[in-house]
Amino acid sequence: MLRSVKGVICQGPKLDSGYFLHASARAWLSAAVNQDVQIPAEKPRTVFRTSESNPANHAEQHEGQHYSIPLQEVKVVFPHGLPYRFQMQMKTFNESCLMVRKPALELLGYLKSTNFAHPAIRYVIYGEKGTGKTMTLCHAVHYCAKQDWLVLHIPDAHLWVKNCRELMQSSYNKERFDQPLEASTWLKNFKTSNDHFLKEIKTQQTYMWTKRESTEKGRPLGEVVEQGLTRVKNASDAVGVVLKELKKQCPLGSFRLLVAVDGINALWGRTALRKKDKSAVSPEELTLVHNLRKMVVNDWNGGAIVTTLSQTGSLFKPRSAYLPHELLGKEGFDTLDPFIPIQVSNYSQREFESCYQYYLDRKWLQHERASTEEGRKELLFLSNSNPWQLERISAYL
Amino acid sequence: MAAPMAGRLAALGRRLAAPARAWLPGLTQVRWSRYGPSYLEPVVNKEVNRKPLEELSEEEKTQQELKALHPIKATASNVTSSVFSDPTISKFTNMMMKGGNKVLARSIVTQTLEGIKRKQLEKYYQASEEERESIECNPYIIFHQALKNCQPVIGIYNIQKGGKTYQVPSPLKDNRKRFLAMKWLITECREHKHHRTFMHEKLSQELLQAFNNEGPVIKRKHDMHKMAEANRAYAHYRWW
Repeated sequence: MLRSVKGVICQGPKLDSGYFLHASARAWLSAAVNQDVQIPAEKPRTVFRTSESNPANHAEQHEGQHYSIPLQEVKVVFPHGLPYRFQMQMKTFNESCLMVRKPALELLGYLKSTNFAHPAIRYVIYGEKGTGKTMTLCHAVHYCAKQDWLVLHIPDAHLWVKNCRELMQSSYNKERFDQPLEASTWLKNFKTSNDHFLKEIKTQQTYMWTKRESTEKGRPLGEVVEQGLTRVKNASDAVGVVLKELKKQCPLGSFRLLVAVDGINALWGRTALRKKDKSAVSPEELTLVHNLRKMVVNDWNGGAIVTTLSQTGSLFKPRSAYLPHELLGKEGFDTLDPFIPIQVSNYSQREFESCYQYYLDRKWLQHERASTEEGRKELLFLSNSNPWQLERISAYL
Repeated sequence: MAAPMAGRLAALGRRLAAPARAWLPGLTQVRWSRYGPSYLEPVVNKEVNRKPLEELSEEEKTQQELKALHPIKATASNVTSSVFSDPTISKFTNMMMKGGNKVLARSIVTQTLEGIKRKQLEKYYQASEEERESIECNPYIIFHQALKNCQPVIGIYNIQKGGKTYQVPSPLKDNRKRFLAMKWLITECREHKHHRTFMHEKLSQELLQAFNNEGPVIKRKHDMHKMAEANRAYAHYRWW
């Protein structure tokens, strides 16, 4: 409460004493760009939307408010990476609104003040189940995309270590295994989000795919991606080439690189895949995981590495595990060490109120008792302010 | 709840007044409860306890006094004091349940309500201003209205007379109507739809159709009405 008062006093001269947050909305109205600021009609106790759609300008005063991303931008910036339930919500409400929260503001502050001469800093977002780690990562990705960084977004590393239909022996290295399907879907989405970069960045060495096919030195990286997409057998190697080239060229300074990995604990756990002789495959035997591990090491500069721990898709980890040491294991922790941990927790009072008002505004909470004080208290109790739980409960109310 | 309560109070009064006939020749008690006659029904509604003393009527005052003296029965485990609890939805969940798997039945029902809400909201946000008022987005209202639309007005009973079984039309009790509506909805989704679609998808589609007074369940209701109309002649076979 104190923070909001301070922020509002710094802002403008004409303020009514009884309408702190409502007045801050009026101040933003004058600076509104495209969207309308929605002010709830009855009691302007909380303002849950902001018109500031550029994450670079998000500051403490926007904490708890929702900012909306135009759907066209979502298709380009997030071809993959948004959680499934959020995508369903986007489809139903016909808009995409993210809440600005403290961990995300902290992370954006660090990203804004990165020194690109120093090695890439690793940020690990951790927290209990359903607290908003993936959404924080998506907020950071949106910021970097707006700042014209090259975003390497791996939506869920767990998908690469389980449920693989086709596991083939790698042609490059006999010990390793390729995953053509996963690699080609990732390449397709990578191309959608970073098209303009792929034309500018040139390869620095020749790559032989087969006896007849090769990519010469100096060709745009887009050709490597095309090669991976057309010849699905070489897709995993194409991913490896892309990662290697980006890592080598980023220190030269022509572009900034953001490596965003969701569920990074998958890289150092166990896999659910088996070889033909029924023996288990370990993660380093997969080409994709092997190359991604090299990417996450901080021996390059000119960007940042933002990762999320996730128990939800993880293999052989108990549901109560959420701390970095528990989920990463010794090997993973030692590789990622040193990193900056960012903890994401359940909604605060203000954030819960904002989310509740947003759902009421979008007509998501349809039950006639949901808009009463009793209903609100019951929602708070049932969900324990956990964002995931609140969303699931309000789905059927 | 009030009728057995009043009955029990009356029985209490009678027992205090005159010695009762606890045993009648030829009558054996088949269904009985572990609770004695002095046990009162539990009240789950929080609003009842919130009323100040002055607003209570005479009946409610006697009720409060009784509660201080008499023991109270335990509540059933599916009854909550939640503001969102709905007895019709609970009944529907119980009818959907197979093998005691209430978790699965409840998840199907909640997914159905979510599915109805999503479909209606998508329509709402893509419609123009004038059409928006006519689109109903509340899944509970749709559910209740759809059930009401599926309830038959008159039913058929099989009565044997002179070696032949006749389909005799007869009015139905409220509980029977509700039961038939729910049963028809569930059997329609289970049997006449593609087995690889999810139950909640099938149910949400059926409920939306029934809300608009169309679909196979409404047709079944009309078939029952037509049968009753056709067998009008045997109506006098009914003796209740």
